[in-house]
Amino acid sequence: MFLRFPSKRQETAIACFVFVTLLAVAAAAQDAPATHHDVLIKNAVVMTATHGNIPNGSVYIKDGKIAAVGKDVNAPASATVIDAGGKYLTPGIIDSHSHIALDGDVNEATNPITPHMMMIDAFDYQDKEIYHGLAGGVTTSLLLHGSANMIGGQAIVIKHKYGAGRDAMLFPGAPRSIKFASGENPKRVYGSRDQLPSTRMGNFEVQREALVQAQDYMREWDAYNAKVKSGDKDATPPKHDLKLEALADVLRGKLMVQIHCYRADEMLTEIAMAKEFGYKLRAFHHALEAYKVADQLAAAGVGIATFSDWWGFKQEAWDAIPWNAVIAMRKGVHVAIKSDSEDFARRLNQEAAKTMRYGGATEQEALQMITLNAAWIIGVEDRVGSIDVGKDADLVIWDGYPLSSYGVPNRVLIDGDVYFDRSLPGFGMPRYKEGM
Amino acid sequence: MPRNSFYSQVLWLVCVALFVCTGAAQEKPVALRGGKLLTVSHGTIEKGVLLIENGKITAVGTADSVKIPKDARVIDVSGMTVYPGLIDSETALGLTEISAEQMTNDLVEPSDEIMPHMHVYDAYHAESELIPVTRLNGITNAIVAPASRDTLPGQDSFVQLAGKSSEDALLIRDIAMPLNFSGQQRRGERGDRGKFPSTRMGLAAQLRQAFLDAQDYAQHWADYEKKKADYEKDKNDTAAKPDSSAQPEDKEKGKKQPPSPPKRDLKLEALLPYLQGKKLVVLAADEANDLQTAVGLAHEFKLKFVLNHISHAQSVLDYVASLKVPVIVGPIYEDPKPEERYDAVYSLPAQLSKRGVKIAFASYDAHNSRNLPYQAGFAVAFGLPYDEALKAITLNAAEIWGVDDKLGSLDAGKTANVVVATGDPLDMRTDVKQVFIEGKEIPMTSRQTRLRDQYSGQ
Repeated sequence: MFLRFPSKRQETAIACFVFVTLLAVAAAAQDAPATHHDVLIKNAVVMTATHGNIPNGSVYIKDGKIAAVGKDVNAPASATVIDAGGKYLTPGIIDSHSHIALDGDVNEATNPITPHMMMIDAFDYQDKEIYHGLAGGVTTSLLLHGSANMIGGQAIVIKHKYGAGRDAMLFPGAPRSIKFASGENPKRVYGSRDQLPSTRMGNFEVQREALVQAQDYMREWDAYNAKVKSGDKDATPPKHDLKLEALADVLRGKLMVQIHCYRADEMLTEIAMAKEFGYKLRAFHHALEAYKVADQLAAAGVGIATFSDWWGFKQEAWDAIPWNAVIAMRKGVHVAIKSDSEDFARRLNQEAAKTMRYGGATEQEALQMITLNAAWIIGVEDRVGSIDVGKDADLVIWDGYPLSSYGVPNRVLIDGDVYFDRSLPGFGMPRYKEGM
Repeated sequence: MPRNSFYSQVLWLVCVALFVCTGAAQEKPVALRGGKLLTVSHGTIEKGVLLIENGKITAVGTADSVKIPKDARVIDVSGMTVYPGLIDSETALGLTEISAEQMTNDLVEPSDEIMPHMHVYDAYHAESELIPVTRLNGITNAIVAPASRDTLPGQDSFVQLAGKSSEDALLIRDIAMPLNFSGQQRRGERGDRGKFPSTRMGLAAQLRQAFLDAQDYAQHWADYEKKKADYEKDKNDTAAKPDSSAQPEDKEKGKKQPPSPPKRDLKLEALLPYLQGKKLVVLAADEANDLQTAVGLAHEFKLKFVLNHISHAQSVLDYVASLKVPVIVGPIYEDPKPEERYDAVYSLPAQLSKRGVKIAFASYDAHNSRNLPYQAGFAVAFGLPYDEALKAITLNAAEIWGVDDKLGSLDAGKTANVVVATGDPLDMRTDVKQVFIEGKEIPMTSRQTRLRDQYSGQ
């Protein structure tokens, strides 16, 4: 009908249509608050996580980024003001080990080497666990493959923008991580089927063999590329192999290696293997015996993402002690406290607070374990994890003191927008409606 | 922590060992002076004095109101907070060591849903490494319950987290019986498909039949006792009044045989004290429909009960209050259902307390029992009054379990289960400095502190 000039009646109809559409848009805008490009949070105790606390401080947010932090900041009069009423303000919590929102598709436990499994393919952006974490102050999570396989799949990093839609929840430009595992889980999964691996010997053999295959694969491609470069028109390319391609990316340093590992001896073996094959380890996850080899971890530049005090759930967690995090930190290891559970993800602030008691972490050190250090584990420490100019405005306003039993998020902002507000009825999410 | 050198730890151990060996810790009065006393029963006393003699608290009060005996060992606890030992109202302590290692677990008998004749005291392992870890956080007493996989998994024991053997630790055997009716007990589990019971109807019917069987069993025994009494009476009567006219043959013919007793059935026998209302049933349900079905059964059989969990029964809290029974609530970390607000379970203790329901907290765990007080603290953040939260892990628990004459508050005459800590018991930043159980100073060490000291560069 728009191919020819409209008649008068049609014009009226179009005008009506446009008017109704505008009304609908206006109504929708009322339902979901407009994105605020300028926000000023004032009258907060700003816990920066890098340079101490600013009592009665302010944070100015422009275009979703932190534009100014301090006692007095310049903000345009047009900025939306959030009066924190003297409450604490922290960076958004970062969970460096999570399996939520994967609809149970955590382990492709059909082969101990599955580096080509992509967690993005399992991402269930409607999972309410994302909301539960958000209400606990979590703004960023690393969603990892499980630990059934020696080499599992490739992780995704999400922001907990529940209700914003799938693609809006992916952390833009976050580095790629791959999950390795070791110890009891691969042993149990494959051993129970009388398959390799069923011992720690088998575990590491399987891993080493996969890396050797990846080296061969890279050589084949290097040889082919050299032939093409030298003008050999008859050169036939090797077969593309997703699995070996992913492992080659490990060897090329394009994937950050995150290893599920409990026992100290296994951490040393993993460090040695990484050295042997020339890749770098980012972090050991769980790492409950890190305190036994903290010097070696620090020397290798490997971080840990650990529990605060969870222990005894299996043999390799028998030597866990709640002082682990602080002992490792004092020896120079990047230490994050992570959830690995939809339950702990809702109260990571309390888990971090325990490090103040067990080992005497300072307030800022404890806070860093669930913000800046966790961001480092994921490789997004220049983007999030502290209240510093230029970082994403992922922030939590707290009821009560955050590093205690009494800390509860009052409001959670991601990229400068309020995604959770405890004072609202229902789910407390201004940007979400049931069924989205 | 690094300041606590290995040698000072050893020295400390030696001191404690000396006290224990010489009995000095039991005999010589101990006065805790200068601390902030959270009595639970009668408010807070700043800079108070608490006196311990022969394992009991003998005085609690302000500095000028308590006379410290001349021979007392005075411990300066200025700046510290002193409170009663905490009570965890459901744990698996002593029934497990390493969760994934089946041979270290004695949690529940999976062969049948109705197993009331299982006794926690038969499995309780007082030497468990978990016990020192737990008491280091100020937990001194606990209910130990079998795991909830069965409808009637056995009978609980009440323990203190000290003692060389289970004889010392088990304070009350068979204190209560869990009745689990979460609607999930074994339904459709593993290979159980096709096996009765597979529905709530089946679970209820099975439970009702078990109670009826026990009542019948009791009746058979009562009948037997009556017959036996009649027989004894007849026999005595006959002996007292010998009928001289009767012939000896007739006498032999008319002689009654003694009644034979019914066969003993341990399973049904175990249910009797509960059906007679002599002991407490701990009735666990999560959702409103299961809760009401289970309470209906409890009323039908006149059980004396307390409620457990009720995590997703928010819609019937007024009904819960009308039952006038206490509730072991939680764990409040239970995940909300998709349709529930994030804090639906967190706020349950506050909602119950507001309705006048007496509540207690439980860890429902073994390894993490040490975190019990933080659950109470978290409930405060969601509206539970602080004093109620502290009561829910001390005096309320003691009252529910019928031990409030001995435990649950700092009062003269009670057992000296006392905790000295750096501050608020409900906050995880607080460090517990000393725990007394029955007046004895508990060594503040565990397998975990030993590993810490071994590896922390000393």
